[in-house]
Amino acid sequence: MSSIAIAALLAATVLVASMASVEIGLSVALLELLAGVVVGNAFHLDIPSWLAFVGSFAGIVLTFQAGAEVDVPQLRREWRASVSIGLVSFFAPFAVVGLLCYYGLGWDRRQAEIGGLALSTTSLAVVYAVLVETGLNRELVGKRLMSATFVTDIATVTGLTLLFIKPNVWIVPFALVSLALILGLPRLAPRFFSRYGNRVIEPEIKLVFASLFLLMWLGQRSNSQAALPAFVLGLALSGHFVTHRVEQERLRVVAFAFLTPFFFLKGGMNVSTSALWANLGVLGLLVVGKMVPKLGGVYPLARRYTAPHAVFTTLLMSTGLTFGTITSLYGLNAGIIDRTQFSLLISVVVLSAIVPTAIAQRFFQPRLAPPRTARGGEVT
Amino acid sequence: MPFQRILVAIDGSESSEHALATALELAGLTRATVLALAVEGPLPAYAATIGEVEEVRREKDAFFSELVERVQARAAGAGVALETDVRPGHAAELIVQYADEKGVDLIVLGHRGHFLRDRMLGSTADRVAEHAGCPVMIVR
Repeated sequence: MSSIAIAALLAATVLVASMASVEIGLSVALLELLAGVVVGNAFHLDIPSWLAFVGSFAGIVLTFQAGAEVDVPQLRREWRASVSIGLVSFFAPFAVVGLLCYYGLGWDRRQAEIGGLALSTTSLAVVYAVLVETGLNRELVGKRLMSATFVTDIATVTGLTLLFIKPNVWIVPFALVSLALILGLPRLAPRFFSRYGNRVIEPEIKLVFASLFLLMWLGQRSNSQAALPAFVLGLALSGHFVTHRVEQERLRVVAFAFLTPFFFLKGGMNVSTSALWANLGVLGLLVVGKMVPKLGGVYPLARRYTAPHAVFTTLLMSTGLTFGTITSLYGLNAGIIDRTQFSLLISVVVLSAIVPTAIAQRFFQPRLAPPRTARGGEVT
Repeated sequence: MPFQRILVAIDGSESSEHALATALELAGLTRATVLALAVEGPLPAYAATIGEVEEVRREKDAFFSELVERVQARAAGAGVALETDVRPGHAAELIVQYADEKGVDLIVLGHRGHFLRDRMLGSTADRVAEHAGCPVMIVR
């Protein structure tokens, strides 16, 4: 199949996934991932180079956006609870899954580290959606939970960058440029955005993309990768985006319309259903390897910091999706893990997005149920 | 005994517009108060980014604000007392629960909503008719 034919097929798949998402109320990312599995396995497509490139860039954009979504003042206010829950939520599954992969499944050290990282994540978006639904996002419990999730995310991107670094001389310009962007862009942003912002040609988005491409290039040259600086750059700009929501929205529109669909499709297309079928036992082990340490590690802290919703909190901290996918795809693209290992990790990531959330909502959802909207009224 | 409190479920679909018209007409005849309840469906389940959640949340907020304003204008035009409420949740469960909570005498519903999942999983109207503790009128 030619490159343009694959593009047409994938564009149609993305469109169908978006429509299905609206109709059935499931996340478009999850549907794109599942659509990728179907398309990839049904048509046995090779991933074209343009898709690999767009997917890699989209992963960095998603990481940047995750940083930009961090509520820094809230994180500062709740740092004690956030740091303890967030770090345990990261380290417990990272250690257990890493050891399980290394000693139990015979993966090499780097493969085991990718496994541990991919399954240590907590999904900020899944947690956020459930908190908004329940009204808990306005309560202290919800704020602590969000902050703890930020900490887990920070730990994951830090691990992803530091564990796989093999520095050469390019690490110096990479570090210097990263610092310059992280310190300089928040200072430059107000002037730049007021001079060039609010135009359909979107210079502000181009500034962000140029910065991210620069980080990706330097990361590649220095045998490192751009996840950590991209996340921290997003974090540094989060304060700016709080007061400039429209700019953040435009960035999201560009990302959701063109970039992230191909990231999740690419993830799905790399999943081998036959490899999964042949390794169902391993899949079960990895699910247990993620869930047991997450639940066991977070629950005692949740009882202390998020009572009386400790079980609910613990289950939500066990969810994962975006960073698990980013980490697994990084491992596959870098040749660290093979397609079978990737298929297993992605499947556990998707299961961890669905199963703990469904259990939390079905059996442990707090009965606050305040109206999320306040548009009621009376006319006579 | 004439109906005093009539609950109508609104979701902006053609079917719910018919239900609203019927509820307002009945209320005009019996001098009843109409309670218009809009049930917001869930946010996208298992989202990958906060942006996706926020976008749907904003769309819903805008949609339901406009819907409530339109219903209020129609009730005012018909001279009918109206209370409106927008709540998140599962439609059938919430309508039944809301009717109990507000002591409603009659529930008026359109025969189908505008989401594909309603058509695939059986209509909200069927489930409300099965579980409600008061009479239910399903309008075509």
